[in-house]
Amino acid sequence: MEPAVRIRQLGKDRVNFVLENVDLAYVASSLVFALLIACSFANSLRRVMMADLPTIAIDLVEFQANTTVLPDEFIAHRLGMVPLLSSNCDEGMRYTRDCTCLAACQYCSIQLKLDVACHSNTTMDVTSNHLEVTPYGTDYNDMGEGEAGDEPSKRGEYFGHPVGKNDPDASPVLLCKIRKGQELRLRCIAKKGIAKEHAKWSPCSAVSFEYDPYNKLRHTSYWFETDARDEWPLSDNAKEEEPPREDEVFDFNAQPRKFYFEVETDGSLGPQEVVMQGLAELQSKLAKIVLALKKTEPDMVAGEPVPEVAATDGWGNGGGWNSTNQPATNTGGWGASPNRGGGGGGGGWGSGGGWASPSQPATAGWNV
Amino acid sequence: MNAPNRYELFVLDDGEKALEATEDTKIPNAATFKIVKQDHTLGNMLRAQLLSDPSVLFAGYKVPHPLNPHFLLKVQTDGSIPPATALENACTRLITTINTLEGRFKREFSFKDVDAGAAGPTVNLGVPDDPYGGGGATAWGAQRDYLDF
Repeated sequence: MEPAVRIRQLGKDRVNFVLENVDLAYVASSLVFALLIACSFANSLRRVMMADLPTIAIDLVEFQANTTVLPDEFIAHRLGMVPLLSSNCDEGMRYTRDCTCLAACQYCSIQLKLDVACHSNTTMDVTSNHLEVTPYGTDYNDMGEGEAGDEPSKRGEYFGHPVGKNDPDASPVLLCKIRKGQELRLRCIAKKGIAKEHAKWSPCSAVSFEYDPYNKLRHTSYWFETDARDEWPLSDNAKEEEPPREDEVFDFNAQPRKFYFEVETDGSLGPQEVVMQGLAELQSKLAKIVLALKKTEPDMVAGEPVPEVAATDGWGNGGGWNSTNQPATNTGGWGASPNRGGGGGGGGWGSGGGWASPSQPATAGWNV
Repeated sequence: MNAPNRYELFVLDDGEKALEATEDTKIPNAATFKIVKQDHTLGNMLRAQLLSDPSVLFAGYKVPHPLNPHFLLKVQTDGSIPPATALENACTRLITTINTLEGRFKREFSFKDVDAGAAGPTVNLGVPDDPYGGGGATAWGAQRDYLDF
């Protein structure tokens, strides 16, 4: 059975979709376990969307002046929570830990500045709209720059800007209120990260996930005073499914078929990007396991013996260097014999042992 | 400040292997895989996929301690394939499914692209509601202020 997807609603910051028949290629073998797959897969997708997608968020704050009523730490924490536009952040930025710069540079961070002072007789709101993305100039060059890359070219026009900046429909994030004579001047470094490090890097504000709205499968039991059906309202998703008949017998082989998702993002990534990147991230996790399996245990994976190292390895015993009692078979390598491919001629590597002692018979330089 | 870096919970150290396999000495065709820097997201998914394989007799996973970023995956097969092959098959099958799903999503999103703006979050265009209570519109008194000396 093929998995199906139906998007019920797609908005600027949310997507509502139904995942159907996510029981995978192996359905035929066991009905009971198909349930587990579907549930666990849907749950993995939810987890990965919430915690494993990279975004950018303010991570370091340097205070130049703060005469507001809030202490530095308080404001720094609030600044960290501000969602920043991080579309294509996967390619548009590197992790600071992977960058060769000393502290932060244009390849692994975004610099934002905030400089406000109140001169009027009214309370002034300092909001995320006051944050200005400032390219690294000459003033902070002493921090050293990382190895040059093409990351900045992959960023969008408003990469790193606070979400909803200068959008009249969106109310900005309030950071602090200041009165006349108070001032806030600071410099922020926004870095790339994932929500496993800190929740401020999560692109999602809420991911809801439901199956079996009528509780036909009895995966949960409702607490009630007199009657559970009266006291527990049905979710909207119940419209998608047949209500259970009164005389319906409990089917203990039944399995969930439909999974209702609602992914709501904080605006740093679009809902489409979150879902697609979530799937890609799951794949890359699995691919890493496959790769690690292939690397570590060739005998366990393929079920065949490990190839004889001595015969093929140019550096080990069969190779040119240290062994004196080598077989005289001309097993090849590059230039071992002139009539074997036009490649190496009678060149240095293979013939006569290459780097090895000249007294050796012509054995392989490299592998066979 | 000797706290370890947070990213050490999900990034492999230099030279650290993503996976360690230990064959079980007492049970035939069984192995334990220690999968490093991964959590329930992968563990539960792999376990479920392994269980759907008819040649797998047992599959289970555990996170031995929540502070240690790894999980253990125990697999026993009926002998027709080694446990590592079963695990590899499970991974490739999942990748295939996700691939199909990705295609479906791509198609669905392309259909929905048009009304993305229209179906967006509803904005109350009437009275601008102020989540911060007043928006600082009230003056303290235009004439006098303790800062006016």
